Amino acid sequence: MSNSPAANRKGLTVKDLVTIGIFSALLFITILVGGLFFAPNPVLTFYMPLGSALLGGPVFLLLIAKVPKRGPVMTAGILIGIIFFATGMHWAMDIGYIVMGIIADFAAGSRKYKSVRMNILAYMLFSIGCTGTYIMYFIDPASWASTMLRGGTEQAYIDTMNASAQNWVLAVILIGTLTVAAFSGWVGNKMLKKQFEKAGITA
Amino acid sequence: MRKLHFDPRTKLLLMIFTILSATLSPSLYYASGLVLLIMLFGFACGKPRYSLLGALTYTVFFALTILTRDFLYGTLQTMLIAFLGLVHKVYPCGLMAGIMIGSTKVSEFMTGMHRLHVPRKIVIPLAVMLRYLPVIREDWGFIKDAMQMRDVSPSLGGLLAHPGKTAECVYVPLMMSASKAADELSIASVTRGIENPEPRTCLIQIRFGAADALAACAFLLYFIAGMAVRGGWI
Repeated sequence: MSNSPAANRKGLTVKDLVTIGIFSALLFITILVGGLFFAPNPVLTFYMPLGSALLGGPVFLLLIAKVPKRGPVMTAGILIGIIFFATGMHWAMDIGYIVMGIIADFAAGSRKYKSVRMNILAYMLFSIGCTGTYIMYFIDPASWASTMLRGGTEQAYIDTMNASAQNWVLAVILIGTLTVAAFSGWVGNKMLKKQFEKAGITA
Repeated sequence: MRKLHFDPRTKLLLMIFTILSATLSPSLYYASGLVLLIMLFGFACGKPRYSLLGALTYTVFFALTILTRDFLYGTLQTMLIAFLGLVHKVYPCGLMAGIMIGSTKVSEFMTGMHRLHVPRKIVIPLAVMLRYLPVIREDWGFIKDAMQMRDVSPSLGGLLAHPGKTAECVYVPLMMSASKAADELSIASVTRGIENPEPRTCLIQIRFGAADALAACAFLLYFIAGMAVRGGWI
């Protein structure tokens, strides 16, 4: 690899790109597995970002540890956004991952990708991307359902909506996601220290 | 039925139209028409079984929505409507995505992306990611076997009884094999000339044909019709 022209460049090498691809796949799986329990359940569907944030921490931190440069988190966000787009998730979630991926990259980059706290914070920011759909829902709950309710029940629906889906649900989603992501990052960091640094995987 | 071959770029375009139509869909009946259109496209792509099953599942959701709308009241209705709203926005796109992914080869997809001038920094990780997703499932099978051999239960019950141990037994091998695979794959891809700056070639010729134009027109017209209904012109 050292003779290849890409290795001499300062940016991302092919090896970095492949690593990003593989870890994005793992990250995508953790989001999917964590969210799977929540998404198809009408009562719990709002809390899906919490479940999605639960499992990804170790993968995310190992990705940063393996590629401590500008770009991996951003690319992972873009890739996950694209794959969610291609699997037909709501567009606000795709945009959310892309935007929060870029922000998270800058957050981790502000300490040169070496600070554990900043990396965990980056994971927390990254996990917020998942809530895009729900933010869209709470901005305008009436139009969300209008396509289904062109029949006249509209007013009754809006009344019940105001009564049951209060704004605190959104706060619970956001704060809950941040907390779960912080926990996941904390576990991930412990695991990284215990297992992967010894094995020399993080280099 | 003879299988038609579509350009990967056409599929991406259709995907965008599907998402736009589903997001801006003016009525429930419009969304079900969209699913019907996607089902026909699935037939043309040579995925009849998947498309038919998908359309049938949608019918169930459709009936459920009608029932919820007309016969339920109060909190239960609100909750179900919020959930079904998501289903109707996402389902057509998911069905389309399944057809798209099922009928496109990775090399075809890569060439399509290359022709669209997507930067390599995105294309390479994306291709690796798509290639690696099935490997994770395979790995998971092996890890499960290994865990059972060591008397660690790879289930929800095991996770609750010994959270730390079970989590470690899943993450450590998964991430170890991932970083090993990263090394091996990058060696393999460099050997096969992924760094070659010349334009990419592909054995399967990809170009826009009559079928592509027809499919694109059908989806575009459907989208315009939806906008017209939404705008109140019809």
